Amino acid sequence: MVDITYIESGGEKHVVDVDAGRSVMRGAVENDVRGIIGECGGSCLCATCHVYVDPAWLERVGGKSEAEELLLEEVCDLQSNSRLSCQIKVTEELEGLLVRLPEKQV
Amino acid sequence: MDKATEAQGSDAVYWDPYRPDIGENPYPTFRRLREEAPLYYNQAYDFYALSRFADIETHLGDIETFSSARSDILEFIKEDIDIPKGMFIWEDPPLHTVYRNVVARVFTPKRMNDLENQIREYCARCLDPLVGAERIDFIADLGAKLPGGVIGMLLGIPDEERDVVRERVEAALRTETGKPMDVSQATYQGEGYEDYLDWRAKNPSDDLMTTLLGVEFKDETGTTRKLTREEVLIFVNVIAGAGNETTSRLIGWTGKILGDHPEQRRQIAADPGLIPAAIEEILRFEPPGPAVARYVTKDVEIRGQTVPAGSAILFLLASANRDEERFPDGDSFNVHREGPPHITFGRGIHSCLGSALARVEGRVALDEILKRFPDWTVDTQGAKLSSSSSTRGWDTMPAYTR
Ligand code: HEM
Ligand code: FES
Repeated sequence: MVDITYIESGGEKHVVDVDAGRSVMRGAVENDVRGIIGECGGSCLCATCHVYVDPAWLERVGGKSEAEELLLEEVCDLQSNSRLSCQIKVTEELEGLLVRLPEKQV
Repeated sequence: MDKATEAQGSDAVYWDPYRPDIGENPYPTFRRLREEAPLYYNQAYDFYALSRFADIETHLGDIETFSSARSDILEFIKEDIDIPKGMFIWEDPPLHTVYRNVVARVFTPKRMNDLENQIREYCARCLDPLVGAERIDFIADLGAKLPGGVIGMLLGIPDEERDVVRERVEAALRTETGKPMDVSQATYQGEGYEDYLDWRAKNPSDDLMTTLLGVEFKDETGTTRKLTREEVLIFVNVIAGAGNETTSRLIGWTGKILGDHPEQRRQIAADPGLIPAAIEEILRFEPPGPAVARYVTKDVEIRGQTVPAGSAILFLLASANRDEERFPDGDSFNVHREGPPHITFGRGIHSCLGSALARVEGRVALDEILKRFPDWTVDTQGAKLSSSSSTRGWDTMPAYTR
C-alpha cells in the first residue's frame, strides 16, 4: 500500500492507500475522490483524469507517452505540471505523492 | 428463494425497456430497482439489470466479463447477430484497441473544439429564419439537422452534397416507427457514403475522411497498413450511427427540461457562463442513451448472486444518474449542482468517443437558442416521446416562443 494525497480544487484533502501497480486515477475513483472522473477507465482516451503533480514529485512520476502529450492539450487549464493520472502507475517510490485536482475535468 | 427471482412476485418491482407506460417516466421504477433489486432479473425477456451508480462504475469497465462483441443492444445480443469487422463499438480487445486507437488519433477533442465556429454558423442558419415565429420545434428545426450536419462537416462532405448523402444514409437505415430495432440496422455497412468516399479519395483535404483514408496503423496481426475501403465505410457508419440520434435527443431534452424549469432557464439566459453546467445537468437528468447492454462471458458474482455465463445484462445509466448515494436530491434538476459527474457517456474502453463533440454541440445549440428565444413553453400535447432499449427522447418537441 502506498499513501497518496489528493487535494480537491476546493481544498478538501484525501489521503488514500493505493495498491502498488494500480494507477493514480484508480486510486481516486475507487476511494470517492470526486474531482477525477476517469471516463475511459485508464485507456488514455478521455482526458477526464487530469491532475497537477506537486512540483517536488514531477520527476519521480516518470515521463509522458506521446499519446498522453497529445491528449493533455485538451484539458481545461493546462499547466506545466499537468498529467493524466491514469498514466501514472503507483509504485513504492511514490509513497507520499501529492497531486492537486483541477477545478473541472470537462 | 434468492433476491433476483423474488423480484418476480406480484407486487415486486417490474421493469422492461419496452413498456410505454414505464418508458414515459421510468424514474420511480429505477428508484425501486436500486432499493429493492439492485441486481434485477427479468424473466419475461431474460436479462439482468444493474441500477446503482457504484455497481455500474465497478462492472461496466470489466470488459473480460462483460463483452461488447455481441453488440451493446439487448435485442441484438439475444439474436447473436454477425458483426462486421471494424464495427469497433461492438468489439472487444484486441480488435477494439487497434481500431479505437486509429479513430482516437483523428478524432481528438481539439479537432472537435475547432468545429465550434462552424457549428455556430450552422445553428444560426437553422434558427435565423424562425426569429419572430410563434412556435418552434426543437427536433424538426434543430435537433434533427445539427448532428448530421456536424458529422458532414467532420467528414468534409461539401455543403451541397450533404443532403444527398444524408437522404441516402437515412434510406438505408429507415425502420418503421415504434418497431424494435431490426437486424438490418446492425449490419448496415456504410451504404450511401461510397460515392463520397471515392470522390474524396481523389480530392483529399484536411477532413476526417481524408485522414482515415491515409492513416497507417498496426493491425491485430502486427502488420502496418492502411484501412481498407470497407473499414473506412464501417468507421463512418459507427461514428454517424453513434453520434446522430443521441445528440438530437440531447437537443430535444434541452427544450423539454428548460421549458419545464423557466426560472433556471432565465438564469442561464442572463449568465451564459452557466451553459456548460446546464448541459452537464441535462445530460445527467435525461441521458439520451439510458442503458447499454453487455454479454456475460463467464459466471460472475454480483451482490452475492451468480449471474451465469451466457446472460445478457443491462447497465441502467439513467438510473445511476439519479442514485441518491451519488447525487443528493437526484430527482431534482439543478444547474447549480456541484459534485461528481454523470455516467451518461459510459465508462471504460467503450466510453463515448464523441463526448467532446456532443458537448460542443449541446453548448453552442443552447447558446444560439437562448440568444433568439429566451423564453418558451412546451406544447405538451404536440410533443412525442419515443423510447427503446437503447435511446429515449423526443421525436417532436414543439414549443411556444412567448
Ligand atoms: C449526447 C450525445 C451522446 C451520448 C449520450 C453518447 C453516449 C455514448 C455511450 C453511453 C457510449 C458507450 C456505449 C457502450 O458502452 O456500449 C458511447 C460510445 C460511442 N459514442 Fe457516443 N454519445 C453521444 C454522442 C456521440 C457523438 C456526437 C459521436 C460521434 C460523432 C459519438 C460516437 C461514439 C462512438 C464512436 C462510440 C463507441 C466507442 C467505442 O466503442 O470505443 N457519440 N456514446
Ligand atoms: S482515464 Fe481517460 S485518459 Fe485517463
